[in-house]
Amino acid sequence: MHIAVCLKHVPDPSTVEVDPLTGLLAEDRVLYMLNPADESALELALRLRPANGTVTALSVGPIEADALLREALAAGVERAARVWDAELGPLKPALTSILLAATLRVIGLPDLVLCGGHSADRGSGTVPALLAEQLDWPAVTDVTRFEITEGRALAQRRLARGARAESEVQLPAVLGLDTERIRLRQASLPKLMQAQHAPIPLYSLEALDLSPQDLHFPAMTLHEVMPPRPRARIMFAPDATASAQERVAQILSAGIAGKSGQKVEGGTPEQQADAIIDFLRQHGFLEQRIAS
Amino acid sequence: MSVATASEVFDVIVVGAGPAGSTAALLCARAGLKVLLLERGEYPGAKNVSGAAFYGSAILNELIPNWWEQAPVERYICRRDIAFMSSTTSVALDFHCAAEGYTTPPYNGFIVLRPRFDRWLAAQAEAAGAFLLTSAVVDDVLRENGRVVGVRVRREQGEIRGKVVIACDGVNSFLAKKVGLQREFHAHELSLGVKEVLGLDPAIIEDRFRLSGDEGIAYEYLGAITEDVHGGAFLYTNRDSLSLGVIGQVSSLVERRKRPYELLERFKAHPAVAPLVRGAKLREYSAHLIPESGWTMKPTLYTDGMLVAGDAAGFCLAAGLYLEGMNYAMQSGLAAAETAIDACRRERYSARALSGYRKHLKQRNVSTDFRAYRHAPAFVNSARLQNLYPEVVASGMEQLFRVDGSAKRKILPLARQLMRQYQLKPGELLRDGYQVVRAYLW
Repeated sequence: MHIAVCLKHVPDPSTVEVDPLTGLLAEDRVLYMLNPADESALELALRLRPANGTVTALSVGPIEADALLREALAAGVERAARVWDAELGPLKPALTSILLAATLRVIGLPDLVLCGGHSADRGSGTVPALLAEQLDWPAVTDVTRFEITEGRALAQRRLARGARAESEVQLPAVLGLDTERIRLRQASLPKLMQAQHAPIPLYSLEALDLSPQDLHFPAMTLHEVMPPRPRARIMFAPDATASAQERVAQILSAGIAGKSGQKVEGGTPEQQADAIIDFLRQHGFLEQRIAS
Repeated sequence: MSVATASEVFDVIVVGAGPAGSTAALLCARAGLKVLLLERGEYPGAKNVSGAAFYGSAILNELIPNWWEQAPVERYICRRDIAFMSSTTSVALDFHCAAEGYTTPPYNGFIVLRPRFDRWLAAQAEAAGAFLLTSAVVDDVLRENGRVVGVRVRREQGEIRGKVVIACDGVNSFLAKKVGLQREFHAHELSLGVKEVLGLDPAIIEDRFRLSGDEGIAYEYLGAITEDVHGGAFLYTNRDSLSLGVIGQVSSLVERRKRPYELLERFKAHPAVAPLVRGAKLREYSAHLIPESGWTMKPTLYTDGMLVAGDAAGFCLAAGLYLEGMNYAMQSGLAAAETAIDACRRERYSARALSGYRKHLKQRNVSTDFRAYRHAPAFVNSARLQNLYPEVVASGMEQLFRVDGSAKRKILPLARQLMRQYQLKPGELLRDGYQVVRAYLW
């Protein structure tokens, strides 16, 4: 079985500092490291590799990314390849996935692609799915554990609130991993020395037979990035005209008394609706219409 | 840059890519030897700390002409300031020199930041042909028939063979101890330095310290700054930051139950220092051990197949007037390299064959300097010089300059009064005077 692992170099958070004089990020002091989720994916790929299998490490990035490909070579991957071109602007997930897919087509399609689920810097978590789209393969994301048997991958996915789902897909497939952090094995000295100056093939746009138009990805445009914010909720407020003691009692009983409710029974549907509206008004859930 | 595999035998294995190791590797590689330079950090300099006043410009200039044009240096040192402090007063000797060689190439000294400087220096060794391997912790030496024939890196299949091993693995040299060249240090032979790098606008630095362009100043402080702990403090101007720190003898830190960072805070709050660091913002904090006892803690520097250089050999001159380590590290690294080159040329690696190291150290004035100043560290670290005399000087000046309407006293009666006040006995003064003479005059 041939496995490909996608690696990203991200800023080492311990070196990311704001220059106290300028208030700007001190970029010249930033050191890069292998994205932790990708490190787990790489180690899992090496553990998964059968006797006659291979692991290929891929990275899209400038020359600094060679350092982590060397790390992968020292740890024991058979092949490494870097994708970069001076024409490339800032990397977006869609662009990265096009480049990765093109590279895999050029160097030979694997049976399985493992990706770290989220990068430590951008963390959109979309590359695995976009890559699968590019390759027209099945993808499973947020994978917490998986097994490969007879050309199929059985993967457990992380859902909200601790729930898990199991998916089974036919290989070749892309898995986006959301496992706990798994440390990369320590390289042996001979491998480390060998990897130190190993040549790492570089694939430019030309080598991938891509033109700038191919990098255009109209299906998805990023409009805005905003932090999640919970929806505003109406809080219970005690009746301001009541005495302090009553207000305290209201607050304390709010949880219980609020739920006791009252039934609207009898009368025509119109009367029932009016009763409900009155109730909502009384409790401040509806704004009082100003009489025109 | 050379390609190498673990199975081959290197001519020279240098352990530690600091100033000693990188210069040794550089020289060996230039002589055409196959050199492996091992560094435990993720990059050379990642683990290295010093005040970082580098007085070895001329030495490095021999190796890399006009090195300062390409190296990451902060400022050249054309001013030095040595201050005696009491808790309220400071009496300083201000040295400002615009003579040739101080403000013109090759310059007398530079202030550097070690992570960047060491990285650059190791890259020079690499460019000369040395094979640099980082993230390689050396645990032990390989021995055959009592001879050192290589090192063991803390990794799978970590054994690697070399004809000569040069240990430049720093103050707490595991290699020198493993082969019995170095003993465990006593707490009174080591000092602990804690250091901060404080960011400050270059324009403010130039105004505040009266510097222009690339000029820099090195301050050294003695006395109450470290309370009753034996030690001192320093402050150097970088390009857009200040390096400052406190150095305390380990044994007296322990005895007096003082925490080094408390001393550092006190130092920064001293009335003579506070205005210098006003408005500066903390960038880095680090700490390191310093071998301070010079000649007396010097190990045997060679054995069959191995040489020791730099801090590992205790080549750090902390003798009051001088606070120098990097230049001696380089000098001893060069001496070790010359010895290794000789040995490889003659294909003899026994202790006898390596005994030329002594001669090379002498030629490079390393052993001679340390021998000449062998009495200085003990004297500098004595309680009287550390705490009493700075206090006496400071309080003497305080009284000399005070005008309060009472009769002016001449210096002699004042000195008598000070001697009474601080219970100084003429005999002790004479003895300390003799110590100064012995330590510094000849």
